[in-house]
Amino acid sequence: MKNISIILLAWFTFVQTGQDVYTCKNVKVNIFSSAPIEDIEANSTNGVSVYNPGTGELDFTVPIRSFHFPKALMEEHFNENYMESDKYPKASFKGKVQEHPDLTKDGSYPVTVTGDFEAHGIKQTRTINGNLKVANGVLTMTSEFMVKCADHHIDIPQIVFHNIAESIRIRVNATYTVYKNSPSK
Amino acid sequence: MKRSIILLALMTLCVGLKAQTDTTKKAPGKTSSADSLMNSLSPDDKHQDVLPAFKATRLILSQTTTTVKKNNFNFLVIHRFGDMAGKAGGAQTLFGLDAVKDVYIGFEYGLSDNFNIDFGRSTIGQLVELGLKYAVLHQTSDNSSPVAITLFGQAGVRPYGPANAYNSFGDRLSYLGQVIISRKFSSAFSLQVLPTVVQDNTPYPADPGNEESFFALQTSARLKVTKRMSIIVDYSHSFSTFRTDRQFADPLGFGIEMETGGHVFTVNISNANAISAINTLSNTQSDFGRGQYRLGFTISRMFDFNKKTKHAY
Repeated sequence: MKNISIILLAWFTFVQTGQDVYTCKNVKVNIFSSAPIEDIEANSTNGVSVYNPGTGELDFTVPIRSFHFPKALMEEHFNENYMESDKYPKASFKGKVQEHPDLTKDGSYPVTVTGDFEAHGIKQTRTINGNLKVANGVLTMTSEFMVKCADHHIDIPQIVFHNIAESIRIRVNATYTVYKNSPSK
Repeated sequence: MKRSIILLALMTLCVGLKAQTDTTKKAPGKTSSADSLMNSLSPDDKHQDVLPAFKATRLILSQTTTTVKKNNFNFLVIHRFGDMAGKAGGAQTLFGLDAVKDVYIGFEYGLSDNFNIDFGRSTIGQLVELGLKYAVLHQTSDNSSPVAITLFGQAGVRPYGPANAYNSFGDRLSYLGQVIISRKFSSAFSLQVLPTVVQDNTPYPADPGNEESFFALQTSARLKVTKRMSIIVDYSHSFSTFRTDRQFADPLGFGIEMETGGHVFTVNISNANAISAINTLSNTQSDFGRGQYRLGFTISRMFDFNKKTKHAY
């Protein structure tokens, strides 16, 4: 009987675990706008990401208020006039990694992720290229892509047209750790 | 045999259970396991400061809870023209534009995000003021702090004027202390009240019976009409028997506030001749009813002296 319970327990754990889920609680996001008058740049280190290699699911969320600009007024305008962060507090990406990289082997794997990118309350289906690096079991995901302000109904008034680019470059960098399932769930 | 059957049954049950959770996971709907995991990981964004209740550090008559951020320098030019109507107004003076009642030139500098030093000079009384402004409390999105509170203290000196009017340097001094309490009810609507104490060593106007100090209350509101334009209203009342007896008027102003990048412009109509609160609260005798209202404007230009930081990574 004792044996049975041990086997049972082992079986449970085996079934429950399946494949590891990876999470990152400090995704770095950099946004950069290059325009004739000035270059504007902001950084956030408060993004959250979940990657499930089993299903290929890859999600990102970044609070808009976590972006910090070198100039206070830029940050205020970014939140109040452009991103309207009180109405749309987060930008997110929900997608699937098309490839199935072998995470047990160290290396650099180019990946293609298809899914919904949401910013300023507008969803756009996007296919974004990135890179997945595995080194000593540590996963790092990086990506660089462009977002058109007009695609997300972010209006740039004529008066500041030369200060803000039509397309914003976004860089993402996330280092993942294996998510430990808490028993409370 | 019996045991192994039980074991087998249990194992199938386990697999069955797992399969069940799997199907619920894949079921159409918004919540997947990744979603709930995402939610549990996301930082709680409920407890954070709301964006400032007011765009600028001052409206028409009053200060706001908003402070100039660290290493930012705000340059202000405020103007009040002459009476639009009444005896002194009308087409002859181009509705008061020929007359200049008061001009204020001022600077505000952010020693930190919450602590400002203000300096300014008015035409009326040649009043030179030095003020300190400190944001004590910020309104938070979860209402753990439902209001923002900023303290404002100011000392003014009238360096000119007839020598016989002032016995000593101390007589030239005046003070203003305020607790500014604001609440941003929505992204469009903000309201504030400012309990105020005014102390003037030589009461202004210099008439017999005038109190050296009195209590006053200012209140102002902003309604955002578009992303960059608001309607603002500003009202003050001085609790002073001297002023009530002589039927002084309560300063009232309303106007439009426009924001373009680093500038904030205000165009307003008010019955107050003066700009500085010490002056407006002490001596507003012009009345809307007698056509003694005027055009005024505020130009505020923000300069940022923070060094541009290079990329974080």
